[in-house]
Amino acid sequence: CTELDRFHGFIPPEEELATLNVGSTTKAEVITLFGPPKSERGLQNNTVYYASSQFRRFGPFAPEEVDRQVLAIDFDANDRLRNISRYTLEDGRVVVLDRRVTEDGINDITFLSQLLGSFGRIDAGQFLGEP
Amino acid sequence: QNFAFSSFNIEGNQRVADGTILTFGGLQPGAGLSTAELNTAGQNIRESGLFESVDLVPQGSTLLIRVVEYPTINRINIEGNSRLRDAQLLTLVQSQSRRVFTPEQAEADTAAITQAYAEQGRINATVTPRIIPLSDNRVDLVFEVVESAITEIERITFVGNRTFSEGRLRRVLETKEAGIFRALVGRDTFSSQRVAQDREVLTDFYRSRGFIDFVIQNVDVSLTRERDAYLVTYNVREGQRYSIADVTVTSEINGVNAAEFEEAVRLRSGSTYSPVSVDNDITRIERLAVQRGIRFVQAEAQISRNPRDLSLNVNYVLVPGERVFIERIDIEGNGTTLDRVIRNQFRSVEGDPLNPREVQESARRIRALGFFQGVNVDTRAGTSANQRIIDVDVEEGPTGTLSFGANFNTDTGASLLASYSQSNFQGRGQGLDFSFSTAESNRSVGFSFTEPQLLGRDLRGSINLSYSTTDNENALYDTETLRISPAMSFPVSELGRLSLFYALEYNDLFDVSSSASEVISQEAELGGIWTNSLGYTYSFDNRRTGLNPDVGLVFRFGQEFGFGDTQFIKTTALAGAETDVLNEEVTLRATWEGGLLSYQKGNSRVTDRFFLGSRLMRGFEAGGIGPRDADTDDALGGDAFSVVRLEAEFPLGLPSEYGISGGAFIDYGSVWDVGETFGEDVVSNDFIGRSVAGLSIFWTTPIGPLRFNFTEPLDVQDVDETRNFDVTISTSF
Amino acid sequence: CGNSDRGGEPLDDLSAQAIFERGERQIASGNPDDAAFTFGEIERLYPYSEFAQRALIMQAFAYHRDEDYPNSRASAQRYLDFYPAEDDAAYAAYLLALSYYDQIDEVGRDQGLTFQALQSLRRVIEQYPDSEYADTSVLKFDLAFDHLAAKEMEIGRFYLKRGNYVAAVNRFRTVVEDFQTTSHTPEALHRLVESYLSLGLVEEAQTAGAILGYNYQSSEWYESSFALLTGQGLSADAAGDNWLSSIYRQVLLGEWL
Repeated sequence: CTELDRFHGFIPPEEELATLNVGSTTKAEVITLFGPPKSERGLQNNTVYYASSQFRRFGPFAPEEVDRQVLAIDFDANDRLRNISRYTLEDGRVVVLDRRVTEDGINDITFLSQLLGSFGRIDAGQFLGEP
Repeated sequence: QNFAFSSFNIEGNQRVADGTILTFGGLQPGAGLSTAELNTAGQNIRESGLFESVDLVPQGSTLLIRVVEYPTINRINIEGNSRLRDAQLLTLVQSQSRRVFTPEQAEADTAAITQAYAEQGRINATVTPRIIPLSDNRVDLVFEVVESAITEIERITFVGNRTFSEGRLRRVLETKEAGIFRALVGRDTFSSQRVAQDREVLTDFYRSRGFIDFVIQNVDVSLTRERDAYLVTYNVREGQRYSIADVTVTSEINGVNAAEFEEAVRLRSGSTYSPVSVDNDITRIERLAVQRGIRFVQAEAQISRNPRDLSLNVNYVLVPGERVFIERIDIEGNGTTLDRVIRNQFRSVEGDPLNPREVQESARRIRALGFFQGVNVDTRAGTSANQRIIDVDVEEGPTGTLSFGANFNTDTGASLLASYSQSNFQGRGQGLDFSFSTAESNRSVGFSFTEPQLLGRDLRGSINLSYSTTDNENALYDTETLRISPAMSFPVSELGRLSLFYALEYNDLFDVSSSASEVISQEAELGGIWTNSLGYTYSFDNRRTGLNPDVGLVFRFGQEFGFGDTQFIKTTALAGAETDVLNEEVTLRATWEGGLLSYQKGNSRVTDRFFLGSRLMRGFEAGGIGPRDADTDDALGGDAFSVVRLEAEFPLGLPSEYGISGGAFIDYGSVWDVGETFGEDVVSNDFIGRSVAGLSIFWTTPIGPLRFNFTEPLDVQDVDETRNFDVTISTSF
Repeated sequence: CGNSDRGGEPLDDLSAQAIFERGERQIASGNPDDAAFTFGEIERLYPYSEFAQRALIMQAFAYHRDEDYPNSRASAQRYLDFYPAEDDAAYAAYLLALSYYDQIDEVGRDQGLTFQALQSLRRVIEQYPDSEYADTSVLKFDLAFDHLAAKEMEIGRFYLKRGNYVAAVNRFRTVVEDFQTTSHTPEALHRLVESYLSLGLVEEAQTAGAILGYNYQSSEWYESSFALLTGQGLSADAAGDNWLSSIYRQVLLGEWL
């Protein structure tokens, strides 16, 4: 079997990054040049993020992230470029997700109503006794 | 000059309450009003659409509002219509009973009904609305219809066609001339959209045969004086027929070298130019870019002519595409199906670059789930210029079948049978089926469960369990089989899937009737046999990419390795090709299917061996072909079979709404080698090819596509039991 | 539609009042669909009696009791068209909102209804603020709003589970920014901690953890965020997460996280 690759997200190529210069390029220029960032601004500091990742899948095994580039572009108080930092797969930490879910009041379709609901599909197989 | 009214006096309103009229007009007692405001108040009341007339008469400090209400509609019906049924026409009528009657709405409804008739070609039909007054200012609304005969297209002519004859071009068009079947055929009536479609069909016909400059100057439609016949004339300019000179790929994106993409190009120099093959190449190039993880690549075809030898050079240029991203994927209408089951069908994720082809393929995958009556996926503008939102609107359909049955017959007593199957259990896309029957002659229990996204991946896990035992005097022998088989299947390449399974099987053969073949009674001596087996099936289908290739190829190869009381290898394989010819009207299909059962320990029994059912080879009774006991004439089945089926499917010219089309086929094949013969004399035990030819009628019915086969044996053995008619479900592979 | 088949003598020659009383009897005796038909007849036969107005609102109520939501909506809408200023208009608008609200389904399923429920509930709150239905509408509005937040969280968790952390971050941020009054904000903040840590953006994770700690100090989400941020997060097998238990949990129980 061959590996099946899947690509997500987008990172501006190197040569476009080189055109930025610290202290003068504004956030608006960055966004028009590279397209909308993955998330607008950091929760607290003035940062714009771009990210791209590649998943590789082999046979029945879970798709595995084989490459990830995260680009953090910081801006100072008046939105001038301050610093570009790059994070890769190694920086990521393996996190066990919390399995609890906030319940909300609306009830689910009961098991029985779904079991008996949505009938009416007749297929010819029944009449002709086809396997 | 302005007024201040302390009170209002409203006359003429019966149904609409005074308070309501004042709120429409926005009038409060004591408020100062200029004449302009008074007029706008009157205008607002009129716009409520409930009144025939409204006039405001100031009388000192009270304002007199005199209104005449429109009547309310009691009932609406349509008389004199036979070609179009009431139900169809009433949907076009906007006026509703219990709502207000307005003359403009009645006029609009009349026009809608007349248009419905015109679309059917009955352009001389007339419709007149009539009002029947009732008590309490109520009316009945009646539309009187006088229908007319269909005005058909008598002649279609072409001007300027040099390369193709008028007859050939007429066969290309959707619209047909009124011939002897004029009553039956619907496509000879005049309809403007069908003519518009014909213009496209004709242009495609010429363009795909190298006429790159073909243009339809105009389509002149004229009506005879008595308005009973249409004459349609197409004025065309063909231009020259061009062939392909050289095909190149260049890239304007640095970091992307064009050579990699040459393998994706199928257009060969020397072939005639056709826009469809250029489009296919562009799709393949862009798909290869996505697979290589190169984002925002667009392929464009630059065509340059060399008029001297009427040839074209095609250069595919890779240009940086516009950077548009998916902002959000909104899914609506999924009343039963969970959001994640649909969202899983998308290969791209929110925030990814938007690839329109991938969005169409995801829509195709959602439809292939088979849970929905309607699926439409389209994109709309997002919050910023280069962000789009994907809207998925689905309409749930029935996904379960439940059937009960009970029968009673004198010798075997009462029996119950029930089956339940649900393909979208709990809305999670899981498949659940179980069935049982307690009939005397055949007691069986069946259960199967499938999870399409095991462990959250594209890994389909399933478990099947089936137990059945027969106890039937007039049958040759009775059997008892139990099979438990968990399986999993996953993609191994873009077009290939691999399925692995384990099976535990118990098989028993008993009370063989005295008149049965000695082979079978010997085999019954072995009694119950337990076997464990592991197996795999690899399947390849190049139609999985959604890019409709010129030739559809399907290949399946599977092996089951059994060990336990007996040791065997069961190999089955299928290879098929399908293509559409004569501008996609006729489908040709060739299929080879084979199987081989080889035993290392023990030997095969009648319940293990292959029998050629009508799904594999047509034209024979069940077990009517293959190794047979010479004196008892019982079919014994074979350890090997091989069949070739050549088929063609073509329309019968009937209007497409009947869903009936025709087909022809030739089957050639045989089943042979019974294995251990216990010294019995077995006829046709080795490979003797039988061939059968036949015609079939396809009929797509609400319960599924049916296929009626009429077969004629060409070269068969005299011991074979042929059959020349049967009904099966029509499947492609 | 024959009048007589609905039991009793034909309605045509009955007075509006008599038909109205029959309708009320039919509702009391528990077959609301017949009652709805009877009230409809009053409107057709006596469109100008003052019973017609009351019959229309009773028809909407009867269809609603029969859970025939589309018809209940149509009758309520007709009432609002003809009698927008009458005192039952508030009830008609409320019935209209309920016809969407009662169909809202479990989080994973169709959310088109939730939007319409929110819009029609807002209309009741804004146009009839002092009617008796205003405050129940406010309550139902908050519940529907919470339900919408639950939908955003469901999609966020879907992407988080598949490792598309950026898509997950965007969904959880929508909950934190646009739905902060709902009960899902603490969980959304914790998911942001999980996603940012997985991306390696430790600073952002700490910010999300700080906001969670500041506003929802006692919530269980803060505990697990705190554990993650201070590095004592549980390892996979300690959390009982081998592939067999996950198959059982995901396939049979439907908790696919």
